[in-house]
Amino acid sequence: MAFYEENPQAVTKADIVVGIPTLNEVKTIAATVEQCARGLKEYFGSMNCVIVNCDNQSVDGTKDAFFAAPCDIPRIYVSTQAGETGKGNNLRNLFEVVRKLEAQAVVMLEADVTNLAPNWIKKLAEPVLKGIGYVTPLYVRHKYEATLSSSVIYPLTRCLYGRRVRQPNAGDCAFKGSLVEAFLACPVWTDAVKSSGIDIWMTTVALNSRVPVSQCFMGIPKIHRVKDPYAHLGSIFRQIMSTTFDLMKLYADFWRMVKWSKPTALAGTDAEDVETPIPVDINMNRLYDRFVQGFESYYPVWEKMFDQTVCHKLSEIKDMGLQHFSIPTQTWAQILFDASLNYHQAAESRRADLLDSLLPLYLGKVLTFVKKTERMSVQQAEDYVESECTVFEECKPHLIKIWE
Amino acid sequence: MAKLLVVDDEEHIRLLYSEELKEVGYEVITAESGYKLLELIEEEKPDLVILDIKMVDYNGLDLLQDIRNRFYDLPVILSTAYDTFKEDMKSIAADFYVVKSFDLTELKKKIAMALETRLPT
Repeated sequence: MAFYEENPQAVTKADIVVGIPTLNEVKTIAATVEQCARGLKEYFGSMNCVIVNCDNQSVDGTKDAFFAAPCDIPRIYVSTQAGETGKGNNLRNLFEVVRKLEAQAVVMLEADVTNLAPNWIKKLAEPVLKGIGYVTPLYVRHKYEATLSSSVIYPLTRCLYGRRVRQPNAGDCAFKGSLVEAFLACPVWTDAVKSSGIDIWMTTVALNSRVPVSQCFMGIPKIHRVKDPYAHLGSIFRQIMSTTFDLMKLYADFWRMVKWSKPTALAGTDAEDVETPIPVDINMNRLYDRFVQGFESYYPVWEKMFDQTVCHKLSEIKDMGLQHFSIPTQTWAQILFDASLNYHQAAESRRADLLDSLLPLYLGKVLTFVKKTERMSVQQAEDYVESECTVFEECKPHLIKIWE
Repeated sequence: MAKLLVVDDEEHIRLLYSEELKEVGYEVITAESGYKLLELIEEEKPDLVILDIKMVDYNGLDLLQDIRNRFYDLPVILSTAYDTFKEDMKSIAADFYVVKSFDLTELKKKIAMALETRLPT
């Protein structure tokens, strides 16, 4: 429940809700609101629309900037209690607002996107209004962008739940209003979900709600405020992995029945000009060092978690050095499958250490991907990711067996 | 017995696919273009569609979009002479693709996989 709400226009019903989660976004919120309002007016002018800022009691004046933005769409501001942060907490408040307004369609957009344009609202909301239950964007991405998604989340989610959602935790999405009932009823509501785990949580809940899912081709990259990708890597990795593993237990009866995978519907293919992705630099030496350091710190944890063949393989890989470094996809799939089971069997107090021990392995997997795709185009690298997903699907009987 | 719909404007491909796929036990129906394809699917209710990408009057990727929008989970295998089609985002709405060949081993494998795919409803 929102701790605080301001609804100056006394909105009680809406067809479309645009939700913008924030924490201290005074610099960007006005531009985001303006672009959203333009999109709503231009493409859905005949419908009742409302923009909701779900905030974390920002102290930088986000709320004032939200209301001061030039916009003639009604606005609602809700906030968590002071000190209660996390995107997941913000979105839970958004779900409550959507339920109250009985909205047909909801678009959720992050506030720090600097290239947001009015047609994003159309691209994301339109499929929902045509009957799709959940829409994820497909941004133009460089092969080394969002490697957690390419190497872990996409292959794992696809092999578990059988639907090929390429960017399942893109940070933005759209969904039909009634889906908030499934979100609000989901019993997995951990600290990780309240924070960075929320995006993969929403996609997973949607996939398990059996609603039709679509991806929307955006035709452009998503440009955020500049962030150091390594700054919070450890905590983000832990939150996303624990969310994924927690949901695996909840939905075990579903994913055990899934065999292979299916595509989703696709919207936005009328994209005018497709922009080229922004190049991402990757430091292979740094990735290798992190793997080797992880090996030294976590080998005893790995020995308890994985069978001998995996441990032996990891020793071999470490000894190969940077030049010949390669974690085979089958080994990687087995690592994630075995880790998921160990996570559930481990005491709560051991889980953080277990997840932390996976981080150097993930960085080793990223290094493998970079080395394999170094000379590939973005499209060829994408084909490589697809082939890895097929390996995950082929290895799934092992996962089912160990979980039994 | 699964029913397959082969959509291709080249007669020899329709014949080849028909004969070989019937031999391994599938029921096969064919269409020489995308004309009224959705109506045909509605009427014949195939279990899977094998769709040519480049036909004289139709773009298979556009037809794929129409199929996906109306028959959300109907398996579609794209059949093509060139793999450059992957540069078009629309192709990701297909279950699989195969490069046309007189050896149908790959096609048969993909058909089996597509028909085996299981998602609880």
